Parts: sequence; C-alpha cells; structure tokens
Amino acid sequence: MTGDSALGRYCNTDSLLHRTDPRVKIILYVFYLVAIFMLSNPISLLMLAAVTLLLIYLGNTGLKVIWLTVKPILLLVVFITVINIFTIRAGKPLFSWQFITVTEDGLKTGILMGTRLIFLIIITSIYLTLTTTPLKISDSLESLFSWMKVFRFPVHEMSMMMSIALRFIPTLSDETRKIMNAQMSRGADYDTGGVIKRIKGYITVLVPLFVSSFNRAEDLATAMDARCYRGGEGRTKLNPLRLKGSDVATGIILALVAAGMVAADRLLG
Amino acid sequence: MPHLTDDKRIRADKVSFSYKSDEENEAVPQRKALDGISLQIEKGSYTAVVGPNGSGKSTLAKLIDILEEPDEGRIVVFGRDTSSEDAFWDIRRKCSIIFQNPDNQIVGTTVEEDVAFGPENLGVPLPELRERVDQALKDAGLYELRTRQSSALSGGQKQKLAIAGAIAMHPDILIMDESTAMLDPRSRKEVLDIVEAMRIRDNLTLITITHDMTEAARAGKILVIKDGKLALEGTCGQVFSQKNTIEEMSLVLPVEYSFAYKLADMSKGTLTEEDLSGKENLRNACVRELKKIRREDIPAKPPSMSKAEDEVILSAEDLTYSYDGGKTLALDHVTLDVRKGEILVIAGRTGCGKTTLITHFNGIIKPSSGKVTVLGMDSRDKKNVMKIRQKVGLVFQYPEYQLFDETVFKDISYGLKKAGVPESEFEQRVHEACRKTGFREEFLYKSPFELSGGQQRRAAIAGVLVMEPEILVMDEPGAGLDPKGRTAMFNMIKALRDSGTTVIIVSHNMDDSAIVADRICYMKAGRIVKIAPPSEVFEGDDVPKPYITEFVNEVADLAGIEGYKSEGDFTPEGEALALAAFCAGGVSL
Repeated sequence: MTGDSALGRYCNTDSLLHRTDPRVKIILYVFYLVAIFMLSNPISLLMLAAVTLLLIYLGNTGLKVIWLTVKPILLLVVFITVINIFTIRAGKPLFSWQFITVTEDGLKTGILMGTRLIFLIIITSIYLTLTTTPLKISDSLESLFSWMKVFRFPVHEMSMMMSIALRFIPTLSDETRKIMNAQMSRGADYDTGGVIKRIKGYITVLVPLFVSSFNRAEDLATAMDARCYRGGEGRTKLNPLRLKGSDVATGIILALVAAGMVAADRLLG
Repeated sequence: MPHLTDDKRIRADKVSFSYKSDEENEAVPQRKALDGISLQIEKGSYTAVVGPNGSGKSTLAKLIDILEEPDEGRIVVFGRDTSSEDAFWDIRRKCSIIFQNPDNQIVGTTVEEDVAFGPENLGVPLPELRERVDQALKDAGLYELRTRQSSALSGGQKQKLAIAGAIAMHPDILIMDESTAMLDPRSRKEVLDIVEAMRIRDNLTLITITHDMTEAARAGKILVIKDGKLALEGTCGQVFSQKNTIEEMSLVLPVEYSFAYKLADMSKGTLTEEDLSGKENLRNACVRELKKIRREDIPAKPPSMSKAEDEVILSAEDLTYSYDGGKTLALDHVTLDVRKGEILVIAGRTGCGKTTLITHFNGIIKPSSGKVTVLGMDSRDKKNVMKIRQKVGLVFQYPEYQLFDETVFKDISYGLKKAGVPESEFEQRVHEACRKTGFREEFLYKSPFELSGGQQRRAAIAGVLVMEPEILVMDEPGAGLDPKGRTAMFNMIKALRDSGTTVIIVSHNMDDSAIVADRICYMKAGRIVKIAPPSEVFEGDDVPKPYITEFVNEVADLAGIEGYKSEGDFTPEGEALALAAFCAGGVSL
C-alpha cells in the first residue's frame, strides 16, 4: 500500500541538515513556508527551485527519495491545478468550449498553486521529516514553546504525547495489517462495494484496534510509572539540544536566502 | 535520607488486594487477587513466583513496586513500609519491573532514548547518564543497535531493551513479570542468561514471575501461589517433591522431572528432595531408578494410530516471497505437500518465514513466484480465492485480538453472514463450533470483551471453525496460555484431526511440536531444512531437539546405554517407557 512512498519517513543518512539544530530547522521551515506563498514571479520561482535543489544537496537524501515523497501527492497537485484552471473566470479568456472557459489568470493561478504545493512538500520533507527524527521534532517544539509554561500550558506533556504517538505509529500499523489479514480470512472484503459498505467493513478492524490501543495505553502507563516518570519537572535529557555557532550561521545564511528571494520577487513585481 | 536498617528482606504480611471494577460482570467473577498472603524474599536472592493464570502473582509484583497499594496487610521492602509517603519514590527507584508484552513498555523512538527514559526521570545528569545508558546497552547486548528504531526490533531484542532500561536505573530489585512468555525458547534463554549474569554482578534481588516450571527451576527458591494464597514454598527440590500438590494446582512439572517420576513409578523407587535439586542430581537419580526397572515392571504401550492418508490436500511449489521490494527474502523456493488428515507442524525460530508461508495458504498473500494449490484450486486465480478462504481456516497468533462484534454469537457467525449462509443455519453451526472449541455457550450473548482470555481465544477459534474448513491453519495456538490451557488446546487440535480436519500448526516450541505433530517441517531463513515424522526429524544435527530429548540422551549416556533413539512419543511419560523398555530389553539379552 504505502510501500514505495517516502512521505513522512526519516532518511537515515548524515548531512549538514541532519546535524543542524532542529529548532533552527523549524524556524527556517516557517521562513520558507512564508516565502513559498509570497513568491509568484516566474524568475523568483526559478530561484526557489535552485535553492530547493541546493537544500536537497545539503540534506544528502538523494533525488530518488525526494521523488518518492513527491510521487504520492502528484495526483493532488494535478487535481488542484485543474480545479484552479477551470474555475477562475477572471482575466483574458484563452479557450472556451461549451460551459468550460479557461482564462489567462486561471492558467497562471493553477500552475502557481501546483508548483507551490510541490515546493511545500519538498521543503517540509527536507527540513523536517527526512532529516529530523520525530523525537527531535517534539523536543524542539517543547523547547521553542517552553515560554508558554508561564501560562500553565502543558508543553512537556504535549511533547511527550507527541513522541509516544510517533513511537506507536509503526506498532499500530503493523497491528492493523494483522487484523485485516485475520478478518479477510473470515471472508471480510475491504476492496469492493459502495462507500457505506466499505466503511461498515472497517468496523471489523477499528473495534479490535481501539480495544487493543486502550489495553496498550494502560500497560504503557503502568510501565512509565514503574520507570519513575513524574512529568517534566527535574528530568534530564540524554541528547539535549545544544545550539552551536555553525547552527546559527546555517540559520542566518538560509534565512537571508529566503528573504532575498522574497525581496527579488517584490522588485520583479 | 534513606535510614539504615538491618532488615534485608521483602516481606508481605497478610496482604489482600482486589481490582476494583465499576460494573457487575459474571463472566469474570470479582474475587480477591491476593487473599491474606504472607511471604518473605531475601535480599540478593533469586526467587521464582509461579502459579496458574489469574493466581495473583503479577499483582504481587505491582504491590512491591507500589504500582498498587494493598487493601489489607502491609508490604515492607528492606525495612521500609510501602504505605509510608517518604518511602514511595525511594522504593520505586530501587525496584525495576519488566513486563510481559515487549511492545507495550517501550517509550523511546530509538533504542538509546528508551534506555535513557528511566534515568532521565530520576534526573541523572549528563556525563553519568550517557555512561549508564551505554553500560546498560552493552550488558544487554544491544550496544550496536543503539540508534535503531525501537519498533523495528524483534520480540527478543525488545525484551532485552526492557532489561537495559531497567538496569540503567541501577535497581536493587529486578522483577520479571512473565517477561519471557511471548518469546521463542532461544530468546527466552538469552534473556534469562542476561538477567542472571546481572544478578550475580550487581547483587540484585531477582524475582521471576512465570507459569513455566522449567524457568522457575533456575531459581534458588520457588513460591507457588494459587487463588491469592501461598500454596507451596521452598527450594526446587522441596517444591518438586510435592508432585501431587503441584498437579492439583493445574501446574505442570518441568519435563525432566515428570520423566524422572515416571521412571521411579516403574521401578517402585522414591525420589528424595536431594534427587530433585538440580539437573545433575536428577540425572543420577534417573540412572539409579532406570537400572532397577525389570521387564515386567513396564506396562504395555498402547499401539499408536496414524491415520494420515497419502492424498495431498494442499501444496506449495517453489514459493519465493520478499518484503521491502526484494531486500528481505521471507521465503526462498519453498516446496511442500500437506497430506489429508495429518497434523503438520511448521517449526522454526521467530522470523524464519513460517507466518509468511501460511498466509499464502488461503490466498491472503498471492504468490509472486511459485504456486499454491488447495484442493486442486490455484490460489493465483481470482475466482478461487473466496472458495479457498472457506476451505482453509486461518487462526492467527493471539486470535482474541480480532474479536469485534457486540455479542459472541454475532462475532462467531460473522463468516457465515459474509459467505451468504442462510440465517436459519447459524444457530446450529455456532453451537457445533462451540462444542468443538469448548466455548461455554452461556456466554454466547455476552460482549466478547467481557470474557476471560481463555474463553476469548476459544470464541475466536470458533469463529473460524464455524465455516467448517477442511484445512485449519493455526499460528502459535498455545502462545500465552498456562500449561493447563495449552494441554486443552492441543487436545482440541488432536480431536479436530481425528474428526477429519487437516491441521497445520506454526510453532517455535519444539517440545509441543514433537508431541502433537504427525510430521514436522523445520524452517530456517526462509527455507525448509527438513520434513519428516517426529521420530525421524531430529536425527542428525540440523534440527534443534526438544528439551526432553536432550535430557533423555544425557541420561542414556550416563547410564552407558548405546544406540537409543526415541520412538516418537516425546511426552516425558512416553519417553520414560521407551527408554526403560529399551534398557530392560538390552539387559535380558
């Protein structure tokens, strides 16, 4: 099913981006997110493409992995592009047949939206999922939002919940497959019939999955108690986040690149 | 500051405990998990706590670590009462528990993060934290895997990870709560060897909770708990000399002890406490008794019946299957015939390809190379798949985890509904399936989630048998059951075979396999090493021998008997008979 997709996976190689402090990467990610949605000039988009290639090089994941992350969303990209092309009526009409009208604005917006989506996926993957382990992401979120503790917001608990959820995703997906195999052996069929029938079919998977998740949660809570867990207070970390000079330098340079692209786009109009 | 005290024991004084439940539930009667129990465990000792499922032994572990508090009585750990507030964290950090399910106690996404979780909670500062984690990983033999994803480990490795996580806390007490129950025999031994080495090096108080008597025999002291009470207590020799008491509690002696008792039974000798302490004494006692047995002492052996026919009911031809786009080879050119009416056991270690193989048998996995034929139907043909699934019932490991419907009746009849069987037949077929599995029909209209574990498993198997399959495939049917439950399961399987069903079992337990099988197919790394009846399959060194066979061979060597070979019974009693007959036969010549 998801065998060939690399969307959301961690790529276990070493690179400048892998070594960069995850907090820096999250901040950079936000910068690039803004940049992607501010760029609209074809030349600045070409610049963004060049910068993206540079980032892929810095992340040392190989182009094949990037292709595998983009592949699963290509259908969505085409869909969004087509919807935009056919629904935007403003601007000079280019083509008209019966009730379908394609305008210049529509074509531009459609292509721009599709391109942005592809950049969005690549930037998210290269800064976050491909080069940063889930645990580091949740650690950085805890660190970046630690000021919210002042307002009694449970930052540590949220981050712990997130990392446990991430830890259990492979376990539960494994279990889902096992339950489906078992129910299929008893005659269940998850691939045919209408929508309602299919949803009803999934009850045979969801109920056992829920029951076992609750049992697991109970076991895990006991195990965490037994290992003396008592919240974030006084906890130390095996791999604490440490901001190095090189992280700051990487952050500043890449942020300036993003700002430069936005400025160039403004100048080009 | 922990105050000094001379008390070097864990003591329970008339402790009672019941689990609170909000609703009335008849299927699982509300009763005391522990009922006025008193016991003592010495510091630095190795104690095994045994008892049937539901006897309260796990509750005891939780009370010692203050994960629960006693309703009555008190527990004192090294002089400190578990009910006193200031002792709470002190006791908890000194006591580590490793639980049964490897998946449900791992918190960290990577191996080293998980080991660090405990010491991080204790606030151990950094250079020391790193040292503790690395040392614990080395002790558990996981150092090379430290940056791996914890979810990608095998079951045995996950339990070693749990051990590393416990050791990194630098505990005084280590409790293993059924921690080896889900492992294959080799992983089980590896895990126990690690904790025993730790115990000696760090002077740990080791408590293993188990229903496996062979595992308990490794301990210096055994406590037997039944119905929340201490039923027996003593050294291995003292406890195992109480054969009748143990059997009344639906526990089973380790196979080598049953074997020795059977010999003594025939020689009309007695086994002393000393005979029963340790394997070496036991071997000597076996030789002594064996020599006393005369020919007329040996009862006639009932003739064994084998009804297997030559007709091939299912066949796999040159099956090859790989995961991850060809990176991991799960099956490597497997060719296999299953004969009508036999019990075929597919044996091998975890990860050898057994489960992948049987998942081919009902078309859940379509062969990517090679072919599977069931009752003459090719599973690659789409038209056949539904028919094959009705003829081949597949019971996966821990089938109780697949129950889903509102009532047991609806759950069992799910397959019938899917196959379009008229509803008027449901009643009769569900009853028939219950009869075969021993499911108690008074629970048919209850929710499956209210049942006990044993009844849940029977309900789940009934849901497969209700389709009246000609071939029944079961993945580790005995997993997680106590000895009594396992015996009942294997009796059920034999009864199914005798009524004409062909049974294929997947198992990593060679002792169970040897007893129940008509033929054993041993697999290793995706290939079939050998297929033969149990009496032949263990010749040579390519298939690991059952534990009982190894012991019998040791006794035969010690007694100077040459050329003895098992006739294929493999129960301790049957092997005792066979060895005695062989020995007496040799003497009379």
